[in-house]
This record gives sequence, structure tokens and C-alpha cells, in this order.
Amino acid sequence: MAEVKIAAEITASVWQIQAKPGDQLAEGDTVMLLESMKMEIPVAAPRAGRIAAVLVAEGDQVEEGQAVALLEA
Amino acid sequence: MPDTIPTPVTDWQPELDELRRREAMAREMGGPDKVRRQHDGGRLTVRERMDKLADPGSFHEIGAIAGRAAYDGAGELERLTPSNCVFGRATLDARPVVLVGDDFTVRGGSADATIREKPLMAERMANEFRLPIVRIIEGSGGGGSVKTIETTGRANLPGGVGGTGLFNYTTLNLSAVPVVGLGLGSVAGLGAARLASTHYSVMTKETAAMFVAGPPVVARLGQNLDKKALGGWEIQTRSGAVDHAVDSEEEAFECARRFLSYLPSSVHGLPPDLPCDDDPGRREDSLFSIVPRDRRRVYQMRRIIEAVVDRGSFFEQGRMFGRSLITGFARFGGRAVALMASDPYFYGGSWTADTCQKAVRFLDMAETFHLPVVYLVDCPGFMIGLEAERAATIRHGVRAMAAMNQTTVPWCSIIIRNAFGVAGAAHQPAGRLSLRYAWLSARWGSLPLEGGIEAAYRAEIEAAPDPAQKLREIEDRLNQLRSPFRTAETFWVEEIIDPRETRRLLCDFAQLAAPLRMPQPGRLQMRP
Repeated sequence: MAEVKIAAEITASVWQIQAKPGDQLAEGDTVMLLESMKMEIPVAAPRAGRIAAVLVAEGDQVEEGQAVALLEA
Repeated sequence: MPDTIPTPVTDWQPELDELRRREAMAREMGGPDKVRRQHDGGRLTVRERMDKLADPGSFHEIGAIAGRAAYDGAGELERLTPSNCVFGRATLDARPVVLVGDDFTVRGGSADATIREKPLMAERMANEFRLPIVRIIEGSGGGGSVKTIETTGRANLPGGVGGTGLFNYTTLNLSAVPVVGLGLGSVAGLGAARLASTHYSVMTKETAAMFVAGPPVVARLGQNLDKKALGGWEIQTRSGAVDHAVDSEEEAFECARRFLSYLPSSVHGLPPDLPCDDDPGRREDSLFSIVPRDRRRVYQMRRIIEAVVDRGSFFEQGRMFGRSLITGFARFGGRAVALMASDPYFYGGSWTADTCQKAVRFLDMAETFHLPVVYLVDCPGFMIGLEAERAATIRHGVRAMAAMNQTTVPWCSIIIRNAFGVAGAAHQPAGRLSLRYAWLSARWGSLPLEGGIEAAYRAEIEAAPDPAQKLREIEDRLNQLRSPFRTAETFWVEEIIDPRETRRLLCDFAQLAAPLRMPQPGRLQMRP
């Protein structure tokens, strides 16, 4: 089991968190939606695994490259 | 008595033997220990690289026996340490090119073992014989090491008397022939400059790192970083200094071949056309529903690209940098084009300062090599906010617009969804006729209504008994006017199309553009 950081690819605000710790995700499943330039931008699981932690809350500002969740894969 | 004296039988066998002996010594490179270390590090030697990159048996080496010789007291050659620059001509997919590579097994690729005229002649040959050049770079790429001061007995003035030849060609060749750089190990200093000063650069993920100065030098600044943390692929592809990263050297060679397949051998030729068995009239039903009606939702632009180009012909460049704009090469009906497309997953497709830099370099390359441009547009504007202002987005933005306006190659834009603001205007070159089509999902404006209404109707909203209600009323009123059909009524946009017609229209464009391409040096002097 490796712990994989799921990073925001853009600077944005956290709009809607869709996965919670313990959820099993397939590769490409949406973890959360960020909002940038009035668009909802999905953050997808880079591979299949279980969400170990969500590191941000709705409304938070995140930077490009910032880890927003941890995945056990 | 014969009336002529027979000529004694003689030949040049001893000299030929000597030549072969020296060539064999050169093929030893830095010796078995150094070659083993190269292999143990997961890296090929420069000669293995040349053989794998070139068409089989096509590499013709120049200056193979140049190096440093040691003689015994009788003047007999004891050993020859070859120059660590290996170069020659070869064919790639049957097209002639120049290959030049650093031999890391000889003094770590550093200058004191290079013989500087070798890399210089490689660049000059590419320039004067109008051939693409592929630089295989490892080490300081012929740059000096600190030790050089002891071998030369004097400090090196960079670019001292007669010493600017290589820099001259690293600039000149960008406007003359395709230049590819492959970083296949630690690349520093002049090596980094030679890798970055290219039209297309690739590095390996596990075995390569690139930096101006490596970890020991950077440690003097108090930054204790290993090679990958300082200049590994994740740093350099996201910074835009290197275009692409791959898992193996063989993949890097394949990328070089693929890149060159879209380009002419020099600015004096045209991009090669290939036979195409993909129906130019193919309608892609998926395109009819790919853009969501909900304007806040994004979609996968790469699926649109793959659906419209000749099957499998899209080759992306610089995916990790300036990511709101996808750039690459593709074919329509077998004809190569430079393709740009917005990626709404990154800032909704807004142009950041990085995106603008990416557009400038890509459009300069399209112009240099006579590639028609296809642009799939979904741009809500330049990036906004404090971070964007600090990055001088507007100056980079107008620079990208200038690069677009300075192109002379044929141009076709497809407006997929958004075209807003100044960046929205930057969807085709100003002052000349381009082809333009808008999808049914297209929408545009000077600025988006959201936020724009509050600014433009401030007095009216503030004076209303219920400002929020007033805002909604104005928004509804304006929304009714922003149908693209109203724009088409006034011929402010030429054509609105069924998205399924896109491939047919782009193949039609490529055909119309073909005779307009001019095989000649452009006015543009390209910069890296």
C-alpha cells in the first residue's frame, strides 16, 4: 500500500468535496470540484484506491501543486 | 626485353590498418569501466544511442579518430582517448539529419575533452546542408569544468575571441532547420543551454536532470537538493524549460522521429504530406453532445482533437506547461498542421502568462516551418486576479497576440465554446482573412456577463428597491441578446456549424492551405 498525494493542478477555491475518507475510488473518479474562472474543475483520482484523508474544506483556497487529499493505493 | 619496367606491387595497407586501429580505439570510448558505469546507471552510451536513433546502418560518423593521443618514446601510438563529442549524418525514416551526441564516459562530457570544432561543425553542417539536427546531451554538453583552468593555463572568458561560434548556430539554426534536444543524463551549464535552445526537447524521467548548475554548486546557496529535486522532469516540464519526459531512451528517440515527421527538413522545404486512409468527410457523432449545456461544467478537449484529426495523428508538445492551451501537431487528410486548443480543465481555458509564452513559441515554430494553424477555441479571457497581474499576464498576452498577428501561414479557428475579452479576440491573426467556424455551443462577449453586469449597470442596480432582483432582470434581458444566431444575423461571425462537420471542414482547410505554403525562409527570426 502506497500513499499517493492528490494535488490540485490549478490555483482555485474548493467548491464541492465529493469523496470522504474510506471511500473506494476508481482511477479518474472525482474527488472534489474546484472553482476557477467560474468553472467547476474536477480533481480526479490518479489511480484506484481508498481515500485516506481529505486535506481541505469547501471554500478553502488551494495553490497549484498543493495536496488536497491522500489516497491509499 | 620488355619495353616497360613493371610497377612494383604496393598498396596502402599499413595506413589502412592504422586507421582501423585508431577507429577501434575511439569506439572504446572512455574504457570498459566507464562504459559499465554508464550502463549500471541505466543509460546507453553515445554510440548505442546513435545506433538506436538512426535508421539501421545509416550513421556516417565524422571525425571519429579526433581525440587526445599518447605516444611512446619511439613515436608509436599507445592510446587514443576520443573526443567526447560524436557526430555525423544519418537518416531518420529515410530523411537525412545531423546527429551530435555527448560521450559521458569521456571526462563526463566536459569541454576539455570535446574539441570544440566538432559540435560546431555539426551545427554548421545542419545549417549549410539544410538538415534537421538532433542533439543528444549528457553532462555539461561541451561546457567547461572547473578543472579546465588547469589544462588551458588561463581562465575562460565565456564567448572570448573566436569563441561564440556555437552560440551563433544555436540561434541561427532555430530559424533554419528543425532542432531537437534529448537530455539523457545529468545536463548542466552549456548542455542545459543546448537542450533548451531547441524546437522540441525531451528528457528521461529516471535518468535525466537538467539545471544551470548542479546540486554541489546550489548547495553553496544553502539549497540542499538532489538532482531530481533540483532539475528532474517534474520541475523542468512544468517550468516549460523541457517539452516532454519519457520513461526510456528508446521512447525519447521515437519522440524525436515523430516530431520531425511533421516538419520540413529546413525552412527551404515544405512539411511532408502523407497518404491518408481516414475519410476526410468522417462525421463524429460524439461531438454533437461533448460540450455540456451547463456552462460551469468542463469537457475533455483532447477527445475533440482525437475525433477530428486523421486517426492517431495528434502529437502533443509541452503538455505540462501553460496547460490551459494544448499545442501539438496533427494531420488532416495527410497534411500536417500546427494545432492549438484550449483546455477548460485549466483555469477554464484562460490564458495565463505561461500559456502566452507557450503560444508565442509554438506559433513562431508554425510560422518558421510553414505549418498552417488550426485553433480550437474556448477562451474566457486572460487569467485575472492578483497573481495574474503580478505575472504580467497582459504583457505576455499582447506578446502572444503579436506572435499570432505576425504569422503569415494559413489559419483556421473553430470556436468551441467561449471567446471573451482581449484574449477572446486572439483567436485569429489580425489584418488578413482566415477561416472561422463557430460550434452551436459557442458564446462570446467583450467580457462575461457574470461580474460585468455589476460594473456596467452599477447605478441602475443600486437605485433599485431590490438590487438582487434588478441584477437578475438585467441578466435575463442580456442573456436573450447573446445568442450566437443574433451575431450571425449581423455577419459578425461568418458561420455556425454542426460540430459533426468539423473534420470535413478542417480537411477542406488543409487542402486550401496547401498551395499557400511558401518554401522559403520567413521574415521571422525565431527565439527559443
